[in-house]
Amino acid sequence: MVRKITGRIPLLEFENAWKIYKMGQINVPALKGISLKIYKGDFVAIIGQSGCGKSTLMNLAGCLDLPTKGKVFLKSHDISTLPESDLATMRGQTIGFIFQQYNLIPNMTAFENVMLPLEFLEYDDDDAAERTRKIMKLVSLEDKMHHLPSQLSGGQQQRVSIARCLASDPEIIFADEPTGALDSSTGIEILETLKRLWKEEGKTIIMVTHDLKLAKYAHTVIELKDGEIVNTQHKKK
Amino acid sequence: MKLSKCFKHAFNMVIHSKLRSWLTIIGIVIGVASVIAITSLGAGMQQSLESQMSGLGSDLLTITPGYSKGGSMFRNRGGDSGSSTATEEEILLDRTDVQALKGISDIAFIETEVGGKVDVSFLGKMGSVSLTGVDQKVWSDVTTAVIAEGRLLDSADQNVVVIGGNLASSFFDQPLGINKMFTIEGSAFRVVGVLDDTSTRIYMPIQMTYQLLEDKDTDIYDSIILKVKDEEMLDETILKIEKKLKISRHVTDKDRDFSISSSKQMMETRMEMMGSVSLFLTAIAAVSLIVGAVGIANTMFTSVLEKTKEIGIMKAIGAKNRDILSIFLFNAALIGLVGGLIGVLCGVGVSSMMPMLMGSMPMSRGGSITLVTLNSVMLALGVSVAVGIIAGFIPAYNGSKLKPVDALRYE
Repeated sequence: MVRKITGRIPLLEFENAWKIYKMGQINVPALKGISLKIYKGDFVAIIGQSGCGKSTLMNLAGCLDLPTKGKVFLKSHDISTLPESDLATMRGQTIGFIFQQYNLIPNMTAFENVMLPLEFLEYDDDDAAERTRKIMKLVSLEDKMHHLPSQLSGGQQQRVSIARCLASDPEIIFADEPTGALDSSTGIEILETLKRLWKEEGKTIIMVTHDLKLAKYAHTVIELKDGEIVNTQHKKK
Repeated sequence: MKLSKCFKHAFNMVIHSKLRSWLTIIGIVIGVASVIAITSLGAGMQQSLESQMSGLGSDLLTITPGYSKGGSMFRNRGGDSGSSTATEEEILLDRTDVQALKGISDIAFIETEVGGKVDVSFLGKMGSVSLTGVDQKVWSDVTTAVIAEGRLLDSADQNVVVIGGNLASSFFDQPLGINKMFTIEGSAFRVVGVLDDTSTRIYMPIQMTYQLLEDKDTDIYDSIILKVKDEEMLDETILKIEKKLKISRHVTDKDRDFSISSSKQMMETRMEMMGSVSLFLTAIAAVSLIVGAVGIANTMFTSVLEKTKEIGIMKAIGAKNRDILSIFLFNAALIGLVGGLIGVLCGVGVSSMMPMLMGSMPMSRGGSITLVTLNSVMLALGVSVAVGIIAGFIPAYNGSKLKPVDALRYE
């Protein structure tokens, strides 16, 4: 358990969640009965060595995948029972993703990439453009709006990806090894941005990393090993 | 996502995979262009046949000696090469047949004709052309020939002729005009009329023809042309004529020795043939459209595979299955539409060049031999878009059903 205060409803809750992959005849469990609660305003780092199940955990938390057994609740909705389109809307509205490889659409400009989630949410064109410009300014990329991702540096691309994740003003931000492809100073810059979003905007941040130095930015560190939570540390906010 | 946005993203996808999109588009272009070219050729021929048909007079019947059970198009012309009925005696049409026909009230006019080849000369230039001897008393009532200059023959005429347009204008070194004299088989004749056609035929009073054509005996006819009073009653009239002639010629169905053909029947047979030929060609052209569809399906499968990661990203940031499906379907439909548009242009281009390629064909006389109809254009465009959507559906559906986590992991 991350934190237990009776009466508070967790934003994200795992209830004995299993994820089992079938490899031919053999069942390989990636997550073995995870239970945890994450509340609004938490900054959680999930650490562990590669293959420990941290990406699987994040996929379930981000509604990208469904648990084999057990339940995952996002804002009190059981994600296994939500229809596909509601799940998609949930991903668009409530969740923002920051990936290690940025995952920008290569044929779209930075501006278009950032606006894309708003298009999926059927925002009015003018509102979407207005909001996109504002967010591009927030990540100091207002002069790179019409560049393609390939024309930007790694740090700039990651800032575009942060801007995209902020476009729909999500409650939770998932960051999967956000600095994995960046040099250390750019990495720190990105981390500072995340920290600012957490502190100033009140976003809930869940970060997957294998880098213990980065994990220090979080106030809760969950350590995974072989698909199980082996350690949970809290820090004072 | 709004459909307009899906369309925008589909359009971008087409733009960004230029080469592959264009190769696929070419497949559709070829299919649509060939369908357009062939259907326009068919429609053009149909139209020129129709105009010929109206010019030929659908109220006319032609009786010729000889009878074969085959189709009316391949009927033996009697007299000339012997008949197909197994009799020693030559089969002829003569005055008794005309007398018998005069007893049928449904017939308005009876005209008798005889024909052959003759040598002609004018100002030292010689040649051989077809001659038709006509009964000048009723010829003008029966003929479908249109006079360009001068007049048709009338009953008092003797050593005068009416000639086809090309004989007048280009057959000899010098034009052969109205009131000019020229020689036919050594006798001099005067031109009183020039027809508005492209033939080199000569028409003259039938009595003069018997004098020129040595192998034709007086009052023996090559054909009898009838004009019926009521076109609607054509089939009934044909039956009456058959019955009457069988009695007067003392023949039964078995040894029948004359044929009745109507220009209407002949045209209908030709139209039917033309219809089935153009249908066959269209079917062949449609095959290339199907090949084009397979091309679209192939491109879409490749495209979905190539965009798997992007599909994953889009799903992670809120794309619904429906959005992905729409984007890829629009993409396929766009390829179909662009292919269809270019195909229609190419098809129209090819069909407008067709008269040049087939200029010498007799079909072209009635005007343009190809006719691009709005219907065929709309149909081709509709079909090519539909082909795109159908061919693109399975790949698009597969793409939309990808699990976000699997799609994201795809490299």
